[in-house]
Amino acid sequence: MELWPRFADGQHLFARMKSTELSPALIIRLLFQPRAVFDELSTTRPSAYSVFFRLALWIGVVPPIFAFVGASLFGWRLGAVEPIFFPTGVLVAISVAYFLTLLFGFVSSAIVSQWMASTYGARHSLGIHFAMVTVVGAPLAVGSIIHLFPHVFINILVLVPTLIWSMYLLYRGLPVVLQTTPERGMLMASSLIGYLLVAAVSLLGITVVLWGQGIGPRVGI
Amino acid sequence: MSETAEYYRDRVVTALVMFSIIWAVLGMLAGVYVAAELVWPQLDFGQPWLSYGRLRTLHTNGIVFGFGVSALMATAFYSVQRTSHVPLFAPRLAWVVCYAWQLVVLVGGISLLMGVNASKEYAELEWPFDIAITLAWVGFAVVFFGTIATRRIKPIYVSNWFYGGLIIVIAMLHIVNSLAIPVTLTKSYSLFPGAQDAIVQWWYGHNAVGFLLTGGFLGMMYYFLPKQAERPIWSYRLSIVAFWAFTYSYIWAGPHHLHYNAIPEWVQSLGMVMSLILLAPSWATMINGIMTVSTASEKLKTDPALKFIVLALAFYGLATFEGPMMAIRSVNVISHFTEWTIGHVHSGALGWNALITFGTFYFMVPRLAGRPLHSVKLANIHFWLALAGVMLYILAMWGAGVSQGLLWLSLDELGELRFSFTDIMASTAPYYLLRLVGGTIFLAGAVLMAFNLYMTMAGQATVRVSPPSVAAGEAAA
Repeated sequence: MELWPRFADGQHLFARMKSTELSPALIIRLLFQPRAVFDELSTTRPSAYSVFFRLALWIGVVPPIFAFVGASLFGWRLGAVEPIFFPTGVLVAISVAYFLTLLFGFVSSAIVSQWMASTYGARHSLGIHFAMVTVVGAPLAVGSIIHLFPHVFINILVLVPTLIWSMYLLYRGLPVVLQTTPERGMLMASSLIGYLLVAAVSLLGITVVLWGQGIGPRVGI
Repeated sequence: MSETAEYYRDRVVTALVMFSIIWAVLGMLAGVYVAAELVWPQLDFGQPWLSYGRLRTLHTNGIVFGFGVSALMATAFYSVQRTSHVPLFAPRLAWVVCYAWQLVVLVGGISLLMGVNASKEYAELEWPFDIAITLAWVGFAVVFFGTIATRRIKPIYVSNWFYGGLIIVIAMLHIVNSLAIPVTLTKSYSLFPGAQDAIVQWWYGHNAVGFLLTGGFLGMMYYFLPKQAERPIWSYRLSIVAFWAFTYSYIWAGPHHLHYNAIPEWVQSLGMVMSLILLAPSWATMINGIMTVSTASEKLKTDPALKFIVLALAFYGLATFEGPMMAIRSVNVISHFTEWTIGHVHSGALGWNALITFGTFYFMVPRLAGRPLHSVKLANIHFWLALAGVMLYILAMWGAGVSQGLLWLSLDELGELRFSFTDIMASTAPYYLLRLVGGTIFLAGAVLMAFNLYMTMAGQATVRVSPPSVAAGEAAA
């Protein structure tokens, strides 16, 4: 039995991944030539595997690493007099939980986006939805460099503009990449914003429940 | 035929829309001012009437009762005539209700600035105002249900169920929660003692959110969304099921405001469980709205109003998910008494209530004026200002709230609280500044709308529209 799946054309997963046109340089080009990236994506048919293993996974690992390094060096700075430092074990647990949550958020967003596609007449392949969510999440991953100094307010100040950039990419890019009309794209993007807002607030809820269970900072509950 | 001589009584609708817009601008201005006071406390200039405690209640009352209820009355009067194919029942009473309500909000607002306060959240007005509110509300009920009773179409459209639910439940809540023993003209004491008073207060408070800010505005959505999309509602059956599920489950949810307080634990648990159940009818309604609009995307090319309603549905989804989540005791233990709650309220009030009302007004006013909207471009700018404003507001309050929750409960090596209250408040100031920026952007959008709608309506008399014939009505039904 083969370890990796073989596609209909006989190519192995990794061979297919090499042949894809998506590359990490996409993230850089997104910053300067978003429309060119959208046009390119609209004519390609990337596989879900390639987007996930070549791009998304590595982008997803960036924020937890920055968060880990920042919290180790400077502690969590919530605006009070002294920062909160954590033992390394706790920091690893928090970072891993952060990574897994981002991963879950990425995959679930792509699946929800694919589920919505038929309603809004958009492309249906999972790979292109993975690519779209990667495009939208990329500015946030770049902005997460601010996790290196985990002062919460400063993080918010930096992440708000990157969030606006992400939303711009979503509204502008979705109709092009997923090949639907601008109006239906606008409706689909707004529906996705609804899901992403729910996902964001769920992240907050899960976080505070974990704190209450003794995972993370020591709180008097 | 006699029907052709009749026309819908829309002048009162126009008046209520205009009052609602005035209260929106004034109420939001008060909100921006109190937000600025949290950054620069000296902005009260030593004047009691400019203090945070008084202006904050003016803000909430101005928005909920001035902006919100005036909008609900306007849209209820507009839609009940068109879904019943008859003019308003007792149109003069409708005018009395319109002006009486504005007088209550105006004089009530002045009383709040003077420091007259019943000390119950969202029910701060003292007993003379409570009586005036009751009388005006009964007038509202007579006009609305009178119109339903004289309808020419047998089915009662779902928007009217929500408006009807709003009128009946708010009457019940207001009367019970306002039961008090007057001592002087400006002071009364609640009839309920201690913890019972708290339970009654939050039975009122949460259901004011439920049946006024949610149910009433759902009535608005169920009429105006299909009208704007020019499509029937995606699933009428789902809308009716959601209405009854919503009505049954909402009424129990109030005790989640009193987690870890001096009320029985089983009451807290009941409030929590019913809050979680509430997610089902809330999201059923959201899906119904989104699916209705999903087939009418071409309307977005020409209609700026529809965008507001689509985005309002997204924020409705957020707020109705966040609320039940925060009602879970293990989340609430950290979120309660923090700015997270304020963020949650505003994701509902700005994201849902205000946006759906803006969208509805952009739809209604050109039709009332009988000419196109003054500027579609300004409406589109308003859309992006509203989105940016509400997002900044929510993100600032999420950051502030979670930080506060953690700092308040954070322990040092000896198991003592690590941070003092004043330290934590000082640490929150930057978030307050960010919130002020978000609120100001949102207010700027509302001012643009006020100008745009004023220019649309200026110099125009309200268009007279006649009900269709009975036969056409039955066909439409």
